[in-house]
Amino acid sequence: MLSVGFRSLFRREVLRFVRRPKNTFMPPAITNVLYFAVFGVILGGRIDEPVAGIGYILFLIPGLVVLGTISNAFENASFSIFHGRWNEYIHETLTSPLSYIEMVVAYVAASAVRGLIVGVIVAVIGALFVPLSIENGLFLVATMVVIAALFSGLGIVGGLVARDFDDLTVMNQFILRPLVFFGAVFYSLTMLDPLWQYVSLLNPMVYMVDSVRYGLLGYSDLLEVAPPAYAEFAPYASLGVLTLLTAAVVALDVYLFKIGYGLTD
Amino acid sequence: MPPAIETVDLVKEYGGLRALQELSLTVEEGEFFGLLGPNGAGKTTFINTLVGLVRKSGGEARVFGHDVEDDYREARDAIGLAPQEFNVDRFFPIREVLMHKAGYHGIPEDEAAERADEVLKRVGIYDKRNERFDWLSGGMKRRLLLARALVTDPDLLILDEPTAGVDVQLRHDLWELVTELNEEGTTVLLTTHYIEEAERLCDRVAIVNEGRKVTVATPDELKTRGTDTIAVRLESPVDGTAVADLEAALGTYAHEVSAAGDSLEVRVDDGGSTAPQLLNDLEARGHEIVDLEISRTSLEEIFVDLTRSEDRTVTRSSASSADEEASSMDEEGSSAEASEREQEGVA
Repeated sequence: MLSVGFRSLFRREVLRFVRRPKNTFMPPAITNVLYFAVFGVILGGRIDEPVAGIGYILFLIPGLVVLGTISNAFENASFSIFHGRWNEYIHETLTSPLSYIEMVVAYVAASAVRGLIVGVIVAVIGALFVPLSIENGLFLVATMVVIAALFSGLGIVGGLVARDFDDLTVMNQFILRPLVFFGAVFYSLTMLDPLWQYVSLLNPMVYMVDSVRYGLLGYSDLLEVAPPAYAEFAPYASLGVLTLLTAAVVALDVYLFKIGYGLTD
Repeated sequence: MPPAIETVDLVKEYGGLRALQELSLTVEEGEFFGLLGPNGAGKTTFINTLVGLVRKSGGEARVFGHDVEDDYREARDAIGLAPQEFNVDRFFPIREVLMHKAGYHGIPEDEAAERADEVLKRVGIYDKRNERFDWLSGGMKRRLLLARALVTDPDLLILDEPTAGVDVQLRHDLWELVTELNEEGTTVLLTTHYIEEAERLCDRVAIVNEGRKVTVATPDELKTRGTDTIAVRLESPVDGTAVADLEAALGTYAHEVSAAGDSLEVRVDDGGSTAPQLLNDLEARGHEIVDLEISRTSLEEIFVDLTRSEDRTVTRSSASSADEEASSMDEEGSSAEASEREQEGVA
């Protein structure tokens, strides 16, 4: 898998965003400083009771880490593919002897790396506002890698499907962000009525945010509100399902590359 | 060794439009092969089918014996493509662009850097190695496309209109370079609008029109298929009746006879061997000859004749094959549109 060709494409993809921190890392850093300052300090300071027994700023960190990670993973993959299509330089890759699996995995891995770096940046910014320690390190790393790869894979689909740059904006602003904002980033599911708790369980983001919160803080909403049969092992079940979903999305990416969807005439 | 390129009944359909129509071509290893045809003839579609940018609708296509779909990795590894459009990665200096391309072909980083330097020197833009593509002049961009095609040391070099819109000096530089590469053993497939280019460089040329192969021949063979014009100046003018008489008398070898004042033009298959007979026939009918000149048909005229569509004036039998052909797609138009696309933002 780690052929010279694969490493070259992966390196190219990583260098593209690493060399442009003003475009890639600065915006999420600034946005998250604002989130922590406004939602955490100014508004959160008026919340007297801890949320789920946790201080509000600390409670916010996992959700914002997920938001930053998946947004950037998705954006990187979709932009890289679409921009390459738009200017046709993706032909450099497509006319090479790289296998379709190598192409897809290189794009996914590089975009996941960007998402993970942004996730770390968000966590570090959060740690400047409140002391932070990691409760379940291995679980956290596994979850972060899986969700970063999942949204990189979805970003590739977006980049292949998009017909202009507006389509990419629509995907990010109108689909991704609402799901994340209703994914228990800024509130605990325990704060909702039972009906809305169950409705929230239909949102896949809930499981991602909850898993990262479990890995980082050792707290899981799902342990409290999910049906008893599921709640018992909720974080691990979430990770398992997300892993399967990621594998399915990457397989879809490979298939789309193979048939040349959006790439060939 | 299998042929460098072998296609059998290759078909590409875009909805109801057939861009390639049972196109069968064979390019031997080491050959310098030209693909000639008007805009929309299917030249770029043919090339893109070989490199994987177009999925064929039917038929077979192989590069050095490797099927372009089943064994796509081997087929693509053998090809270096200099396309018509400027489809170069804008994010990196051109030296890195070449290193990346070499890397995709499995060339380790150190060697890729050496090769990038080597090909940049070879095409004469080494001093621009740290510039990004957008900052190069049009001619330099064209050179870079060639450098990118060469950096993987391909066995088959495909050049799609490499000299379109470049100045005479660059055109000659490119000709020299690709001739050199061909002499070193690289098979070259060249598409061009410039007949002079094909005549000067190619061992054989295929003329395609509206997705079909019209003919394959050497440039010399093609030229023998044209007609020559024998222009004769007579001592005294010929009138209409005399021209009609001559048409009837010379009909066994003359395709067309025309006269204006004391000048007579006779179109024949082979001017050199026909001229003595024409002189004899004219003298036998009382015409005194002052001067005679034979002009051969240029390859360009033959090309125009062979690719002439049915809605134009048809003067040659070869044009009949065009009668069956479907309407063409406008590749050039879409290419121009693509080349106008601008880079937007950085996410």
